[in-house]
Amino acid sequence: MSEARRGAARACDGCLRRSWLLAQLGGQLDYRCRDRERLPELLALDDEALVRALGGRRTGELLARWARFDACQLRRAKGVETVCEHDGRYPGPLRGASAPRMLYVRGGVRRLSRLGAGPVVAIAGSERASDHGVAVAGALARGLALGGVTVASAATGATAAAAHAGARAVGGPTIAVVPGGLDVTPPAGRRSLLARTVERGCAVAELPCDLPGRIWGLAASERTVAALAQVTVLVEAEGNARELAPAMLARAIGRTVAAMPGRVTSPLSTGTNALLRDGAPLVRDALDVLELLGREPTRLDTDGNTNGLDPRLRGVLERVAAGVDTAGRLARAGEDGADVLLALSELELLGLLGRGDGGRYLPLAPAARPPPQGPRSKPAAI
Amino acid sequence: VLARAHTFTIDGLHARHVVVELDIRRGLPAFAIVGLADAAVREARERVRTAILNSGFEFPGRRITANLAPGDVPKAGPGLDLPLACAVLAASDQIPRERLEKHALFGELALDGAVKSCRGTLAVAQATSHAGLRGLILAPDCAREAALIDEIDVAPVAGLAGAARVLCGGSPDRLPAVRPRRAPGRTGAARARPGRARPDAGCRSVAGGGEIPGMPDLAEVRGQHHAVRAAVIAAAGAHNILLSGPPGTGKTMLARRIASILPPLSRAEAIEVTRIHGMAGTLGGGLASSRPFRAPHHSITAAGLVGGARRDRVGEVVLAHHGVLFLDELSEFARPVLEALRQPVEEGRVAIVRAGSAALYPARFMLVAATNPCPCGYAGQEDRCRCSEADLTRHRRKLSGPLLDRIDLAVSLEATDTHAADATPLLSSREARGKVTLAWQRQAARMDEAGAALNGRLDTRLLRRHAGLDGKCEEMVRQAGVRGLLSGRGQQRVVRVARTIADLAGSAKVRPVDLGAAIALRPESSLGSRAA
Repeated sequence: MSEARRGAARACDGCLRRSWLLAQLGGQLDYRCRDRERLPELLALDDEALVRALGGRRTGELLARWARFDACQLRRAKGVETVCEHDGRYPGPLRGASAPRMLYVRGGVRRLSRLGAGPVVAIAGSERASDHGVAVAGALARGLALGGVTVASAATGATAAAAHAGARAVGGPTIAVVPGGLDVTPPAGRRSLLARTVERGCAVAELPCDLPGRIWGLAASERTVAALAQVTVLVEAEGNARELAPAMLARAIGRTVAAMPGRVTSPLSTGTNALLRDGAPLVRDALDVLELLGREPTRLDTDGNTNGLDPRLRGVLERVAAGVDTAGRLARAGEDGADVLLALSELELLGLLGRGDGGRYLPLAPAARPPPQGPRSKPAAI
Repeated sequence: VLARAHTFTIDGLHARHVVVELDIRRGLPAFAIVGLADAAVREARERVRTAILNSGFEFPGRRITANLAPGDVPKAGPGLDLPLACAVLAASDQIPRERLEKHALFGELALDGAVKSCRGTLAVAQATSHAGLRGLILAPDCAREAALIDEIDVAPVAGLAGAARVLCGGSPDRLPAVRPRRAPGRTGAARARPGRARPDAGCRSVAGGGEIPGMPDLAEVRGQHHAVRAAVIAAAGAHNILLSGPPGTGKTMLARRIASILPPLSRAEAIEVTRIHGMAGTLGGGLASSRPFRAPHHSITAAGLVGGARRDRVGEVVLAHHGVLFLDELSEFARPVLEALRQPVEEGRVAIVRAGSAALYPARFMLVAATNPCPCGYAGQEDRCRCSEADLTRHRRKLSGPLLDRIDLAVSLEATDTHAADATPLLSSREARGKVTLAWQRQAARMDEAGAALNGRLDTRLLRRHAGLDGKCEEMVRQAGVRGLLSGRGQQRVVRVARTIADLAGSAKVRPVDLGAAIALRPESSLGSRAA
């Protein structure tokens, strides 16, 4: 690879200095980011203005240290490259007023720039994701990866984890945006997520490698995710600003925000249902998202194919999809539960059903989905 | 003048033979006891002295030295009162010494000379037989328990005077009339959480198959047919089972009835249970007739669960031997407590080693655990569950791991309308016990030569030999492995449960319908996968 011969990519000193400065101002940014709308504005300021806005009593001292900053002070981590907006390999979609000036990248800058140039879809969910949301996010990511789309997501929460795992299951690359430094040992649940993400995809961060995640970093990572993607899909969201932040950030930079519908009584779907009511495109699965992107589905996920299913199994699958989703309730009508249990196990073995919380079964694919009737015209971005 | 008396001290589940050597010499009046006696034994001096005087005998006013041999075994408990008193009488020539050496004595003395019962009678009776002694003199209360050992003559005596009469060649006192028996499991039930446990919800099944009034019966469980079927399967193979579900769905109610559908104890098992519970003092007397049901509160310590805190106390797992150990609110138990369960669940015994003592106790029980699906109890109901992702992860982490790996069956209970038309009891304890007993017999007939007679206790080698999967089932298991639904160990568990379901149905081969049910009832192997 020419990349390797030329040595690892490295951002210019001025941009490295920027990441150092953000680390110094972490506490102030945490405080200010309680107002999520204002965070992108703050991050769009240039270095000096940022120090004056946030430095408080430390302004003078920080400016002095900033002036004599040497990039060698930043610890270098193995396998981590840096790229800044002055570099040609900086992902095109990220260029914009509020986007990060530079990124720390694990998995290769060249790969990031290649993935960023292709179609990218962001998947976001609720902090309190339900088992339904997790399963749906996984299936969505799998379908998107099969359709040749890169999945981007934050590196926090169950929905994001499911999205990364789903895409990875079919060999698709993903981009994970980390709220802290790349070299900080993540919580146990996320350690393997990041390790496996960089096998085919990239993990990116805005902060120097050895810094722990910060609250503002979480909000900032959502803006990076939104900027990387042409479409942001909200799987589940409650109706508050915190949960709807990915949608607002994506809209602010003119990207399409799509939402998946949920039960009207579920608090976890109030946000997404509200988005739909306000006119966001409704997506049910990966095919709908591919249509939004104006792409033809290239391959079909065999797992979701329920044609030719035994009528006995189809009957059980349809009842599960209709909400009769526990073994106890399915068996109640029948005399003996054994046949129902056998059907449930067979469906699970076929990959059509999964287990949810509280002994519930979740359909992993729509029970009956009419074949797509050719691409519709691409809806206008909202 | 030297006299010898034989008695026993309780050490774990065993009665250790102790010889009381008592010597009376001229000197200042004194009564010294040597030989690692604990406080209760040292206090025996005052009881012995007063009891002898109050029984119309003479207490020698000379120097008395009692030695408890062997000298390196700590002696505990008040059971040494009677032998000490008789040795004093023999050494002062008030009763014949030769006859004293042929009897074992065990009992506590009251100040008026009455003999009181002590814990561990059956173990003492067995040890008497092992020591080659002819007779055992003890309190009438525990004579029935001791009489279960055929090889010895049990001589119940009401007081020290009676003991002296027996040792002079007279006849023992008569056995008291049989008292109405307390339920042996009662102490366990009474210890369960107040408010939810009924005080009389102690234990259940009884040899002979009759229904005992006041015992919980499976027929009281309305609806929940899926869970009741799973409970019957668990009982039929002695599989460990996990019940989960929102609060108020009857997890505890069902768990308390599982012991009532287990087959009655065999005589050998009953003697073992009697011995253990006699040691703990939780038995009314006579042979245990029902399987133990132990339900310790979740505040229990590891020492309380497996034993080891005191030499004369065993843990709850040992008390649950041949019965059911019920852990309600499994996720509330402390982590070290659950870890301590691994050896007994896996091996059916528990080895306790402490400074100066090591003991191996039997602990072959069926584990029944109940838990809420999440801290608030309503996981899966999006509009009710208020647990954050972190809460759920913590809850799952608590439940996952090595212990859950040993649970064969998991079933979720859901809220039902108990007044609905279909909320009828699935079957009564008597019917269920009939099915389970048949399944036990089928398993025993198949695995005659193997030590483990129940599917839940099959090891890998025996399982392979006895599983009897047909070709379609082999394919299903393989498929489940490929799909990642079942780990290697998970496949074994599923096959074990499928074997039991086939045994319940009386099928020689495991059919796909048995295996399908076993797969559907498998514990959530992917509990932690959401976070990965």
